[in-house]
Amino acid sequence: MSDMRRVVVTGVGVLSPLGDSAAALHRALCEGSSHLAPVEGFAVEGLPTNRAVELRGFDPARYLGEANFRPLDRTGLLAACAARLALDDAGWTGDAVMQGELALLVGTMFGSVRTIAEFDRRGLEAGPLYVKPFDFANSVINAAAGQTAIWHHLRGPNSTVSAGTASGVQAIALGADLVAEGRVEVAIAGGAEELCWESFVAFSRAGMVANGDGTPRPFDVRRSGFALGEGAAFLVLESAEGAAARGARVLAEVLGHGAAFDPSQGSDEKSGAAAVARAVKLALAHAGLQAEDVSAVSAAASGHPRADAAEARGLATALGMSVATVGVTAPKGAFGECLGASGALQAAALVAAMEAGELPGTAGFTAAAPGFPLWSISTTPAPLDLAVGLVDGVGLDGPCCALLLGRSWT
Amino acid sequence: MTAAPQPRRVAVTGIGVVTPLGVGRETFWRALLAGESGIAPVTSFDTSRFKVHLGAEVRGFDAAPWCRKLRPEELGRASQMAVAAARMALADAGLAPETLDPERTGVAMGTTSGEPLEIEQFNDTFFGAGRDALDGALATRYPCHRIPGQVAAELGFAGVNVMLPNACAAGNYAVAFARDALRGGRADVMLAGGADSFSRITYTGFARLGAITTDCCAPFDGERKGMVPGEGAGVLVLETLEGARARGARIYAEVVGYGLSCDAHHMTASHPEGEGPARAMAQALADAGLAPEDVDYISAHGTGTPTNDKLETLAVKRAFGDVAKRVPMSSVKSMLGHTMGAASALEAAVCCLAIADGRVPPTINYRHPDPECDLDYVPNEAREVPVRVAMNNAYAFGGANASVLFAAAAE
Amino acid sequence: MTGSLNGGTVTAKGFQMAVIDDDGIRDKVKRIIFNVTRIPVEKIGDDASFRQDLELDSLSLLEIGVDLDYEFQLGLEDLEQRLGDLPTVGDVVGFVRQRLAERAVA
Repeated sequence: MSDMRRVVVTGVGVLSPLGDSAAALHRALCEGSSHLAPVEGFAVEGLPTNRAVELRGFDPARYLGEANFRPLDRTGLLAACAARLALDDAGWTGDAVMQGELALLVGTMFGSVRTIAEFDRRGLEAGPLYVKPFDFANSVINAAAGQTAIWHHLRGPNSTVSAGTASGVQAIALGADLVAEGRVEVAIAGGAEELCWESFVAFSRAGMVANGDGTPRPFDVRRSGFALGEGAAFLVLESAEGAAARGARVLAEVLGHGAAFDPSQGSDEKSGAAAVARAVKLALAHAGLQAEDVSAVSAAASGHPRADAAEARGLATALGMSVATVGVTAPKGAFGECLGASGALQAAALVAAMEAGELPGTAGFTAAAPGFPLWSISTTPAPLDLAVGLVDGVGLDGPCCALLLGRSWT
Repeated sequence: MTAAPQPRRVAVTGIGVVTPLGVGRETFWRALLAGESGIAPVTSFDTSRFKVHLGAEVRGFDAAPWCRKLRPEELGRASQMAVAAARMALADAGLAPETLDPERTGVAMGTTSGEPLEIEQFNDTFFGAGRDALDGALATRYPCHRIPGQVAAELGFAGVNVMLPNACAAGNYAVAFARDALRGGRADVMLAGGADSFSRITYTGFARLGAITTDCCAPFDGERKGMVPGEGAGVLVLETLEGARARGARIYAEVVGYGLSCDAHHMTASHPEGEGPARAMAQALADAGLAPEDVDYISAHGTGTPTNDKLETLAVKRAFGDVAKRVPMSSVKSMLGHTMGAASALEAAVCCLAIADGRVPPTINYRHPDPECDLDYVPNEAREVPVRVAMNNAYAFGGANASVLFAAAAE
Repeated sequence: MTGSLNGGTVTAKGFQMAVIDDDGIRDKVKRIIFNVTRIPVEKIGDDASFRQDLELDSLSLLEIGVDLDYEFQLGLEDLEQRLGDLPTVGDVVGFVRQRLAERAVA
């Protein structure tokens, strides 16, 4: 559309075991310390590993003040807290939010599979009279989005976005479209996902969790699976004019995005790579950029043997010659596979990396297999003039979404 | 971002449905106009421990004929119904999937619960064979994005693919998303709709809230007692109006606008003044450049619960003013039950068919006037009425509201 | 088999509950209200009304009702209707006392 507006990022909220701000997340990624540890939140028995990247000591009152949190489940609380941090970071508070019609886009893979499963178990054990009404309200996949909207009075379009592990990136893309097309002035877009027993068991039994000591090794020749993580992150997106008019600090610009699907649903590496490449090329075309304009990539690679290979091949195809020079980091080596929140955490970390002018290393990565199509995977933090960053969202079973962020021009 | 040409117009050219009233557009529309009910005692699980027993199940559905590439037993039930509805919709549009450009064809779907039967299976295994017998299905079959994924995989589509699980307003969100993808030139053909499967989880929850009726589903009736959980899938084929005309396609309607809002009030209770829904309706009208008096038919959310129907009536009056009483507004949930994530997709199909056919379906079981529900609900009998513009309203848990406007495609 | 998973443990309750007096019932009722609302027990008046004084919505009220029914094993098929007839904490205490007495006789 000819009257498309520029979309800027004016705030970032992060809730992760690695930190509760974009800057803290970036620092932790650069430090490379491991947050992988035995799970404390639930009992793990009879599975190959008991380790994950778990958010411990999460106290919602720290972010939301003292209140009754009982009607919310963990996913809802993660989302509400990260949204609070994002709004605060952007300077959106009080009446401005109440009077506005802010959009909310929440990427998630499960919402809360724990809440639904517990609701059902209660019915099976105690009888249908004794199921919990609060749990039923949270059993819908969009519960976290609804709870977050209630908490912060977000009265605009309210959508949950599920595209597997690409959900967070897809949610930001949708939020950017709503702002670009003038449907809303402000969109809070990102993702939230909890670590829970149900998904831990399922991903372990599906053979997707890293074996041995559970260390995830994105892109590495020895990779055997991912580590599950959890967290939430949101970007506050608004029009460039709107941000300027209210004197907001601009952290980055959303330059473009692209989405594609792998009809083999992850079973065929070539088909998967083609989808990754197409999403990146669409994002470049949307942004009016060339591959050589990209200075760094935050990859979706998690340590999943097939998905990492498809992503590497797809990125190499889309980036062409510049694959030799572009810096590639895979933060899931540190914060784990946070499913629907992953893409939002990647985007948040990249915004901070742009500001810091430093690209983090990739935890767990030592060496790629001979002939691996990506050449410049970072192992240690390196100074980098990060003008244009690519956030890559790659689903394990088909959906791909790529997002291009530009450094603030101010 | 690069400048693009004038937004493209978006047409609905295909309809595919799997419903408690039968499979396929013709069966569905005939039954709705005849005022038939798809509501009956639940058969898919034992309701003897409940005081309510009615459900709107899709009976005797066989996914095998619709799965030519995928193996139906590897799909969850909602995915199966979605794949069937998608194939039907394409056939209805006169489009062979293999003739479409896969990279320019996308899928947007909605749902309330995704594949809840997978969670039930997980728990049944846990309580039965024990935790060592649990498998990985919750990671592979359960996630709700598998529904649009399986549709695209079955049909070979490689364009944008997304699930917008916005509960009972999800189908409308999917149609809105698809419209924007087409308008913005991000796809040339989009499948958009919703799917949900009947589950003891959903049923138990609504039963506990006391929301399920004990006799019949009678939206807007003075003695209405509640809703009826159901299941199904509805898929629309959306394409550019230009493309549809160029290939001489039958055009049911044009998608001319939408409005999305959130109550930000309560998870399960609507705003007491219908503020959010009224805002979504007003936005949809503004988006389409239409006025309330332009609307000839409203497909109501109309669940049949005392509160919903009262507040919905209030919201329509708030958005439409004096015009409200003159617009026929019916609830097909009186016949289909509440098919959850499929509901607003099926109701979008109803809007398109009303425009194409010049008839609107009734609200059945309407016997007693309610002073608080005083609009024209098309009681009990279908009506012949020229419909140029139809509004589809849907409201969800979490306070998400969505109104989509369809119109006869004018030059 | 017990579903001791995530702290959401469900344990079946028996019916061999000791006879408890009014104070005991009142304490338990207030404890349950606290668990749902986080309103401190000492701030829940004996005759506080759920809607006006405690400002509870219907979902919270139903959550409390389910917990009460489970705690005292009242077996209320018509819980969601009955809650409307019990507008105050005192009404609930009286109702529970009456039901427990009926069951002791039966």
